[in-house]
Amino acid sequence: MLTALIEQVINGTMIGAIYVLVALGMVLIFGVMQVLNLAHGVLFMLGGYLCHFAFFKLTGSYPASIALAMLVLAVLAMALERAVFRPLRDSMQMQIVASLGLILVLQNSVVAIWGPNALQMRIPTAEAIVRLGPLSFTQQHVIIIGAVAATVTLLYLFLTRSRLGTAMRATSQNADAARVVGIDTNRIFLLTFAIAGALAALGGALLGPLFLIFPQMGDLPLLKALTAIVLGGMGSVPGAVIGGLAIGIVESVSTLFIPTDFRDTVVFGLLILTLLIRPWGLFGVRVRGEA
Amino acid sequence: MSASHCGLYRCLLAAAVAAGLAASAHAADGTVTLGIVTAQTGPLAAPGKFQMNGFQLAVDAINKVGGAKIAGKSYEVKLKVYDTRCNAAEGASAMQRLATIDKTPVVLGELCSPVAAAEAPIASDFDMPLIITVPTAPNLTEQGNPYFFRINAENNQLTKALAEYVAARNLSPLAFIAWNNDAGRGGVNGMRAELPKSITPGYVGYFNVGEVDFSSHVANIRNSGAKAVMLLMDEEPGALAIKQIRDAGLNVDLIGTLAMGSNRFLDRLNAKYLSGMAQYNAFPPNLPTPRIKAFNDAYKARFGEESHGFAAQSYDAVNVALEAMAKAGTVTDGKKIRDALAGLSTEGVIGAIKFDAKNQASPPVYITQWCDNGTRSVVFPEAYRADCGGG
Repeated sequence: MLTALIEQVINGTMIGAIYVLVALGMVLIFGVMQVLNLAHGVLFMLGGYLCHFAFFKLTGSYPASIALAMLVLAVLAMALERAVFRPLRDSMQMQIVASLGLILVLQNSVVAIWGPNALQMRIPTAEAIVRLGPLSFTQQHVIIIGAVAATVTLLYLFLTRSRLGTAMRATSQNADAARVVGIDTNRIFLLTFAIAGALAALGGALLGPLFLIFPQMGDLPLLKALTAIVLGGMGSVPGAVIGGLAIGIVESVSTLFIPTDFRDTVVFGLLILTLLIRPWGLFGVRVRGEA
Repeated sequence: MSASHCGLYRCLLAAAVAAGLAASAHAADGTVTLGIVTAQTGPLAAPGKFQMNGFQLAVDAINKVGGAKIAGKSYEVKLKVYDTRCNAAEGASAMQRLATIDKTPVVLGELCSPVAAAEAPIASDFDMPLIITVPTAPNLTEQGNPYFFRINAENNQLTKALAEYVAARNLSPLAFIAWNNDAGRGGVNGMRAELPKSITPGYVGYFNVGEVDFSSHVANIRNSGAKAVMLLMDEEPGALAIKQIRDAGLNVDLIGTLAMGSNRFLDRLNAKYLSGMAQYNAFPPNLPTPRIKAFNDAYKARFGEESHGFAAQSYDAVNVALEAMAKAGTVTDGKKIRDALAGLSTEGVIGAIKFDAKNQASPPVYITQWCDNGTRSVVFPEAYRADCGGG
């Protein structure tokens, strides 16, 4: 049982790390702009497809393909901010409807370009095995956990040590006050979408080689990331990290005790429980009028 | 075999000769159109293509030797195809059109069990026999519908062979990973019902369509001490599950479905992952028997790839339908064609075809096993045992 428990904690950490990347992008956008972008899972999926395309058609190098996918998604996310979300900035309901529309547009575009069948991306790290006593994992497991840890550290340093990061935090606290002190908030919004898009691309590009790349691959990570940011606290970056990892580990370990088809029930049960007991989340700030 | 019809796999040999001629042996006196319902687009377009290839191959072979001979006349055979996309509403709508607008005497095909269930009552309402060639849900032929026929083996027939294989090798405890739907859950229940008490279930895990992470199942299988894992799923999740089981270092026997016994499946993984894996199979394309070899050669020549069980079953369905029409002496009277189908006994490329009282055929079921070099052997039944390369 102990071996199975260790195995599931490692598996949970790996998939939780992916949830962290998706949750971080969503939490940055929500924290800075109060936009709930439900199309973020589709950006994650596009990251997988673009990395696949770059690897097989352009570069042949996995790191270069990831970088290219992140770059393209950053530009696409900025375009979406400018063309879709900025004109709808005053209405969260309209933004949600627009993001739902974007899911359909982008998913169907992917089907039209790459077809409905799942793509495989066999790279050496997804084939090579790392042994840990009686357990073994692919190198890609280690790469995912390592890459996400490095990304979270870099993002933390960017947000706390750089001028742009400070401006981003200032905008998230009070956009009007930020404008008064000379911060170009429109530029900050664009930057926020770019970072979120790049993080989604990184997630899709890291997970694609381990499993498959298919049009719906972002659906579940989106739902899990939403749960993570509610659990961690809407708008809280540390909350997104802890929430994402917690959900990954809880859902993996729970399958040792309950049937695997009830795994999602545990996760969404946790979401409902959080909303009932602590709706502002683990790291969120309680606001006036909230239960 | 009916004298009025060139009949089943022999058509292939005749067609090969006829293909060299500039024109058919003689012009047809009329046309008979068979209705086809299958998935040509959507997620199940790939298996639908195998089905369609089988229909087309049969029709071409028959037309090349002058068409189908029915009641003293020769008929050019045509197909009226509807894409049901594995959707019950689309399937029912297509059947309605075939019955009321196209007025086809017989309908063939369907890929998905729930869609076949929706189409069956329409076949009965319009006295239009429906011969399905792929769906395996056992209850489809339990509804007492006299116009509904199934040419392929159903789940219970398939799992019976596999249960004998598992019992003979004492693969206990036996773990399962299966779709969380009627096919997966029905498959697990059917298998457990067939297994002797000495084979205990180590772990039973279900997954939803679209899930790709099998790590939880792998940990539970390891924890259960299972000797073998049975994978009741399609090609895509099957390849992922096998990769994750092997990458996690689990030393278990693998047992799969017919979706996992083709070269297409080998392309998704490699021989190292598949070596030793056994799966039931309705049509081992490399089996050195004349009926299978002739079909496989003709299929390869036409489509440039190894043949598939779905294609063979569909090929036979065309011939069975035409043979029933020849026996009934009509190309329009659905009731007479139904009666002829019910009493038909013939030899197809998949083996002997004879419908029982529930209109279910009982073609042979094989167990193939992957060899180290990426070929397959046949390990069951004894009568068809073949070495690596023969499966």
